Amino acid sequence: MRGRYIAGGTTLVDLMRETVERPETLVDISALPLREVTVTERGGLRIGALVRMAEAAAHPKVRTLYPVVSQALELSASAQLRNMATIGGNIMQRTRCAYFRDVTAACNKREPGSGCAALEGFNRTHAIVGTSRQCVATHPSDVAVAFAALEARVHLLGPDGERGVAFADFLLKPGSTPNRDQSLRQGELITSVEIPAHPRPLKSGYLKVRDRQSYEFPLTSAAVALHVRGGVIHEAKVAAGGVGTVPWKLPAVERHLIGERSSQALWTQAAERAAHGARPLAHNRFKIELLKRTVERQLRIVGGTP
Amino acid sequence: MVATTLEAAQHAASLVTAAYDAEQPTTDMADMADAPAGEPQTYARGDADQALDSAAVRMEMTYRLARNQHNALEPHATIARWDGDKLTVWDKTQWVFGTQMELATVFGMAPESVRVISPFVGGGFGSALRTWPHVVIAALAARETKRPVKLALTRRQLYFGTGFRPAYQYAVRLGSDRRGRLTAMVHDVRAETSRYETFMESVLVPGQMLYSMPNVRQAYRTVPLDVNTPLYMRGPGYTTASYVIESAMDELAHHLGIDPIELRLRNEPDADESSGLPFSTRKLRECYAVGAREFGWHRRNPQPRSTRDGDWLIGTGMAAGVYDTARNDAQASVRLDADGTALVQSAAGDMGPGTYTSQTQLAADALGLTMRNVTFRLGDSLMPPAPPHGGSWTMASVGSAVRDGCDKLRQQAIELAVADEKSPLHGADPADVVVSAGRLHVNGDPARGETCQQLLTRNERPTSNAPAGRECTLGVGDFDEVEGIHGGPASFPVDGLLDRAHDLHVAAAAADVAAHPLADLLGGAGVPFLDAADAGHDLPRRAEPALEGVLLDERPLQRMQFTVLATWGEPLDGGDLGALQAPCQRQAGVDPPPVDQDGAGPAGTGVAALLGAGQAELFAQQVQQRGPVVDRGGAPLAVHGQRDATAGGATAVPPTSIVVAMNVWRVGAGAGPSGGGSYDSGSSVDMPTLFVRFGGRSVD
Ligand SMILES: Cc1cc2nc3c(=O)[nH]c(=O)nc-3n(C[C@H](O)[C@H](O)[C@H](O)COP(=O)(O)OP(=O)(O)OC[C@H]3O[C@@H](n4cnc5c(N)ncnc54)[C@H](O)[C@@H]3O)c2cc1C
Repeated sequence: MRGRYIAGGTTLVDLMRETVERPETLVDISALPLREVTVTERGGLRIGALVRMAEAAAHPKVRTLYPVVSQALELSASAQLRNMATIGGNIMQRTRCAYFRDVTAACNKREPGSGCAALEGFNRTHAIVGTSRQCVATHPSDVAVAFAALEARVHLLGPDGERGVAFADFLLKPGSTPNRDQSLRQGELITSVEIPAHPRPLKSGYLKVRDRQSYEFPLTSAAVALHVRGGVIHEAKVAAGGVGTVPWKLPAVERHLIGERSSQALWTQAAERAAHGARPLAHNRFKIELLKRTVERQLRIVGGTP
Repeated sequence: MVATTLEAAQHAASLVTAAYDAEQPTTDMADMADAPAGEPQTYARGDADQALDSAAVRMEMTYRLARNQHNALEPHATIARWDGDKLTVWDKTQWVFGTQMELATVFGMAPESVRVISPFVGGGFGSALRTWPHVVIAALAARETKRPVKLALTRRQLYFGTGFRPAYQYAVRLGSDRRGRLTAMVHDVRAETSRYETFMESVLVPGQMLYSMPNVRQAYRTVPLDVNTPLYMRGPGYTTASYVIESAMDELAHHLGIDPIELRLRNEPDADESSGLPFSTRKLRECYAVGAREFGWHRRNPQPRSTRDGDWLIGTGMAAGVYDTARNDAQASVRLDADGTALVQSAAGDMGPGTYTSQTQLAADALGLTMRNVTFRLGDSLMPPAPPHGGSWTMASVGSAVRDGCDKLRQQAIELAVADEKSPLHGADPADVVVSAGRLHVNGDPARGETCQQLLTRNERPTSNAPAGRECTLGVGDFDEVEGIHGGPASFPVDGLLDRAHDLHVAAAAADVAAHPLADLLGGAGVPFLDAADAGHDLPRRAEPALEGVLLDERPLQRMQFTVLATWGEPLDGGDLGALQAPCQRQAGVDPPPVDQDGAGPAGTGVAALLGAGQAELFAQQVQQRGPVVDRGGAPLAVHGQRDATAGGATAVPPTSIVVAMNVWRVGAGAGPSGGGSYDSGSSVDMPTLFVRFGGRSVD
């Protein structure tokens, strides 16, 4: 990995300044024709990799069909950054773990085999799910949480041609190779992210809980999309951010919701399942409870209480 | 690493590997619970321990405050240049003389061989009150390379290359009667410091003067940790102490079921009980009255977690702060030129409060000129000395000197005119002559007069040293016009200044005002204090070093101001007393406001007591109020837009070609030769939210 694509440059340039990344070659892709948002034949949405975060958030189709995506984007970064940053760059962004960005600290993601300073260090913001003994860093993206919830596909173009990858397979848990964030092959380029069609009406939204009210990454977040017909939940798509080494899909919560009628009790019971399998570190135990409450609140906001 | 480009310097630095033995560092006071701390700073009045024992209500609380980093937008940066054995440094500093003294000491030079220039500080917040290692490094590199060197700290380097507000562990024990009248407070304060220096600040003051109580005992200790030395940060010590004391007062209010404002009013002192002196200004009762009214304080539900806005919990709270403002020795020079313009100089700083503007306003006002015709310059050690630009000193100190100097100069001009046979003012009583908008005339007879320009042109006697195009005619204070900075090495040092025989040269323009014990602000940081009360003597006038803290301590300390509990959006200056009075009277006497009784029994009485007392207090305050030296009153003058540009232009920075980068590593557990390390919870990443208690929102 000696070369890098550069799109908006909002995160790659930072990483290069900190010498976390030192690509020998930069390939500027910003002139490629990947700036369209299109409706797919089946009624889903395809967002070009070079669509700016601000453009994607404001796009009428995104706003009406998948408000969860608009909201996740608009709660990200700052207006200036959203005007520069692209969707492709966003899901490629690397962790905000302070040890990853401090080149003097031990970090298996940055320097395989050097250890993980966060394990014993200051790990209040770190992950409680999807961790390994090698790495406990969260994936910082907000919109990736919405994409994960909506079961998006990532379209790629590489030396061997085009292929599509399910979002769940695109971002990688650290396991024993925390240096690998994505399942990209050598030279592969993201061309678009496709959100599949979901039964309508689909109510959705994103809740982000953070230390500061703006310009801050999530401590916890929840992306929720519900298809309710005749008072019964027929489809539920739920994922959490800020807690996992990748955006954390919550199938147990989803299963608990399907076939039920919305009620406060249901939201509470479903959210109870949000932190299954969580393994907190020394400073982030609070995330377990915070995650449940975040999910519960967002279920209530999207699903309402009769 | 020193190189001709930043990139080369950074690259070279990245190739350096530092090998060292790693030891387990201690950077958190919590790990040092039983650490032997230094000798405490103490204070006591009455017998606090006995009073606590016999108090009807006793409470005990410990507050932990995390470290705060200054982190101004404009990071620290230095340019150093040697001209022979003279050193000139452009630096981000809140005190050019502090930097001058430090560099002179480090390099074993006479202070007057070091010139420090800082026309704009950028954000300071206290972080530029000390000379940090990078300033010396830049000077050293410039000396070795024989070229000017620029060194700018990165954002990350600010965390260990400068100071910070130290972390505190502050235990309070308080005793009161059942009505909330305080009888005693015991303060046990522990703060972090470095292993190599002891840093202490005014954290004890609020506990001595914020509330009335007969018994106080305080002990303030530092705990040496493996950290760099802390430094003053905006509201140094005061912010910390106010947070703690006010939190404790809220606990007491809650415990006793007394409205928090009412509790404070019951403990409002009539004088500063630590000194027995009256407050020059203390308008807390008015603050409470206006704040409570504007915020709808008595309509709030005081029950915790009782007020919601959707999913948000809404809290309403209050807290008071206290600051004993002080002044310090300062000098200014003032010159009136034949073209009718004035140049005023003082080596003050401007980190954003608008020193350029305020001093220009002040000078224009005192000289009777328009602001357009007054230039104020600051931030150069060649200028007349000013105290550190911190501690809220600048306006009171430098302003006093500027005002005094301008008053004297105006007087000189008047005297020149009345003695000049060619002047329409010849023979007039100087006491009858006024100057306004650049024109001298007899009070009440505007027709009889002339402009400053006319007067000075007629009396002009050009001098050999006067800068081209400027005939200086009247001057106050030692006058080096410090504008030759762009003129290169030759302009420094400025010699033979006194030969620049001004026609009229009065000796002193120094405002010699009572000094605060500087030991507190400066001594702790090991910065020598420069006393320069005495102006009008030859260069190197500002080279006189320490008239140390001891001497200063003996000076009468008069605490001046008392300030404000929050931003109420309503100014509480003297001029507003009238405005304040009316609603208070009405509410108290005639038309009491509806009192919301829910959940807050005592609140009702609170209103009555508040307003009744507040009203009485208003009059007392009015009588008591003494304006500070520089109390201009009246409408502020328009700001002269070009002022800053002019001043900035005077100190154009020379081109530089050499850049320094420092390699950075962290000491940490298990650090190998490549410098792997670890943060810990006490480190800078953890930014506390100080006032989260009040108006805070939280997710439940
Ligand atoms: C201060 C700050 C705050 C932020 N806060 C948030 C936040 O709250 N929430 C949030 O979600 N994000 C946040 N971000 C991250 C921000 O969203 C990303 O920086 C941005 O989305 C990256 O997009 P870019 O186009 O600038 O990527 P670049 O910096 O250009 O590239 C980033 C990476 O993606 C790769 N890349 C880019 N495009 C492609 C492509 N088409 N195919 C393959 N690889 C590609 C690059 O090679 C590079 O490795 C924040 C960033 C900053 C600087």
